Amino acid sequence: MSSALSLAHEPVTGIRHGKLGMWIFLASEVMFFSGFFTAFIILRNTNLPVFAHGASELNWQLAALNTVNLIVSSLTMAMAILSLEHGNKSRFQLYMGITFLCACGFLVIKYIEYTTKFSHGIYPGTSSFFGLYFTMTGFHAMHVIGGMIPIGWMLAKSFTKRGYRDWERVEILGLYWHFVDLVWIFLFPILYLIF
Amino acid sequence: MGAGLSAEEMQKSYLKIFGALMVFTLLTIIAAKFVHFPESWGGLSTTLHVTIGLIIAVAKAWMVVYVFMHIKFDNPYIRVFIYIPLFLFSVLVFALTVLGGPTL
Repeated sequence: MSSALSLAHEPVTGIRHGKLGMWIFLASEVMFFSGFFTAFIILRNTNLPVFAHGASELNWQLAALNTVNLIVSSLTMAMAILSLEHGNKSRFQLYMGITFLCACGFLVIKYIEYTTKFSHGIYPGTSSFFGLYFTMTGFHAMHVIGGMIPIGWMLAKSFTKRGYRDWERVEILGLYWHFVDLVWIFLFPILYLIF
Repeated sequence: MGAGLSAEEMQKSYLKIFGALMVFTLLTIIAAKFVHFPESWGGLSTTLHVTIGLIIAVAKAWMVVYVFMHIKFDNPYIRVFIYIPLFLFSVLVFALTVLGGPTL
């Protein structure tokens, strides 16, 4: 019972309305994160020692593990969409489940990182670097949580609904999920690596 | 979707991108943490590290968008929505390489 509106094709472009809507939303997300990145760039370039010292306190090994987490979850999300499109529901559930678990793993690692910082007396007000670190990774983690809700919901629905094959909707969710990965692709080198 | 590609072909391109993303992640870590430029290079060394890290990040981002987000397979009409913000953002991050001046 999918909504006709989200799946209808726009007559000129041939792109589904739901998909186009997600792309426009993602374009606005690029603007949202660009504000943080711009603040980061300007503050870093004018306070390099503060930022270099802040970055040296971060655990890049944990962040690298989280990078792998998100790349794997991006692959399994793409595979989940492909499986459902070709009517393989059990494969879809497997891949979607792995995606969800990777997201959980990401949050657990983030939790470890944050609590370690707090236990070392490092808070968002510690320096301009940590203010931006907590804001940027915090908003990113909120996006991960925001993605896990529909991922879990669609996964649950595939178990409860007979003949579940709503792959076009999962594809739209996939766009969002890959965007979350995209933000991390930039956060990882900028916060943890380049100093 | 898929522009007439079979499931096997799609899966193959996904796995290729996945492999490339992993390799690029490894490269960016090696470049940042295990490659050291001579002390005498000073600020240039930081600029080089930043530039390498950003080139790899931008390459990874475009791979994700092109294949995982189906731009490769979708109607070309949609590309303009995506290429412009992504291009502008790719340029923006390179502002991180603009260091120097008397305060350094």
